[in-house]
Amino acid sequence: MHLPQFEYIRAKNLADGLAVLAEYGADAKVMSGGSDLLINMKYRLDTPKVLVSMNGVSELKTVEETADGGLRIGAGCQLTDLVANPAISERFPVLRDAMSAVGSRHIRNIATPGGNLCLETRCWYTNQSENWRMTREGCFKTDLEACHVIKTANRCHAINSSDTAPALMVLDASVVLASHAGQREVALIDFYRDDGVDHTVVKPDELLTAVLIPGSDRRSIFAKLAQRVGLDFAVGTFAASIRGSNDAPDSVCLVLNSVSAAPKALAESEKILIESGLTDEAIEAAAIAARKALGELTNLFTPSGFKRRLVKTLIRNALHELRDKVN
Amino acid sequence: MGKQLITLTVNGDSHEIAIQSHHTLLDVLRNELGLTGTKRGCTAGSCGACTVNGDAGEAICSCLSLAIEWDGRSVTTIEGVQEGSELHPVQDAFLEFGAVQCGFCTPGLIMTTKALLDVNSSPSEDEINEALAGAFCRCTGHIKVKKAVRKAVEMLRDRAAGNAG
Repeated sequence: MHLPQFEYIRAKNLADGLAVLAEYGADAKVMSGGSDLLINMKYRLDTPKVLVSMNGVSELKTVEETADGGLRIGAGCQLTDLVANPAISERFPVLRDAMSAVGSRHIRNIATPGGNLCLETRCWYTNQSENWRMTREGCFKTDLEACHVIKTANRCHAINSSDTAPALMVLDASVVLASHAGQREVALIDFYRDDGVDHTVVKPDELLTAVLIPGSDRRSIFAKLAQRVGLDFAVGTFAASIRGSNDAPDSVCLVLNSVSAAPKALAESEKILIESGLTDEAIEAAAIAARKALGELTNLFTPSGFKRRLVKTLIRNALHELRDKVN
Repeated sequence: MGKQLITLTVNGDSHEIAIQSHHTLLDVLRNELGLTGTKRGCTAGSCGACTVNGDAGEAICSCLSLAIEWDGRSVTTIEGVQEGSELHPVQDAFLEFGAVQCGFCTPGLIMTTKALLDVNSSPSEDEINEALAGAFCRCTGHIKVKKAVRKAVEMLRDRAAGNAG
């Protein structure tokens, strides 16, 4: 597959990049690593007129330790560098685990956290070659008010496959969205929309510039299941964090991803664990509550029944492991 | 969207090439420079047949990198791995173990292995698996490939010891 034609603009610095985005708006797409965007462009799922490269913007490539023991990670850092960064491994091993689960080493050598958080949603119907799609009807993602995966759907159910999103969400992370006019901070829990077409709150003239992680005394865990472990998008990811003891936790945070259009916070399961602690029975009940909370599911790669069973098992195993973890 | 001139150093040789913005590094290596050792596989970052080593020696998929982003930078391809008339130890090891069947993935696997061994002279089993996960061989099942990688580690170690002595 070859890329479609586009105008290439290389941002010299952040202000320059934001000015370009303000000028072109929805006609432009931001590229850092390009490991997701360029593939979508080859499939003609995305055909931006202008491609704005942020690879020369040094402001996006820093990792800073913050006063509260947290980190500010530039959205344009390469994942390989972040995985090897001792500040991340020591403070937030769950984030290192999630970042090292993204793609293959080849991909992580170019991919960035900004790109992974903004990863385009995917669906077995749309993520096909242009020729395949041409012989069929369009859908919410293209030009028709229809979904061929869940026939009764009134919105796009394409799946969010970001591995870093659930890990960052259980760490209470937020992101900085900058535009020509200023910048705002958005908690990651409010960053995603449960709609595969318009799946983040990022406006066309905005750029995700940094990830902010507050200092944390939580223990946490990340689990991913994929068909080809070394490379594939997940069929299910799960992250959990807990503050306090296993018997009487102060706070529990559980997030599931790669099953719906937005990462799913599991409020009911969290409540069960806070009330009963991480006992075998409570973990089982929390895993069952999570399975029930799934709602409509697309059968991306696997039948939806398999996915429901998977969710229960994934959560149960991860929580058992979390119980024995010291950080 | 006319052509733009970039300066790209490939295997130590500097080239001035007129490219268009939508050309990938792979397009330029194969079509403009005739370096067809780098293979066009899935073109979507899944197979690793197009692996080349970037400025820092890192393994990247040349199909996922815009050529225009390589202006002023350098890249090593399979054609640049050989040292004079001698094969690189990684190439020798692949030959010795017959870690090739159809051979299509071999350049990518060798570039991937070289990227690993350039920065890690004694990789663990897990590190080898992790590094090679992005380079896919559909024929051999990777057993011979991994034997070859371990042999290459030994050969490079012996060579380093020989140089030191």
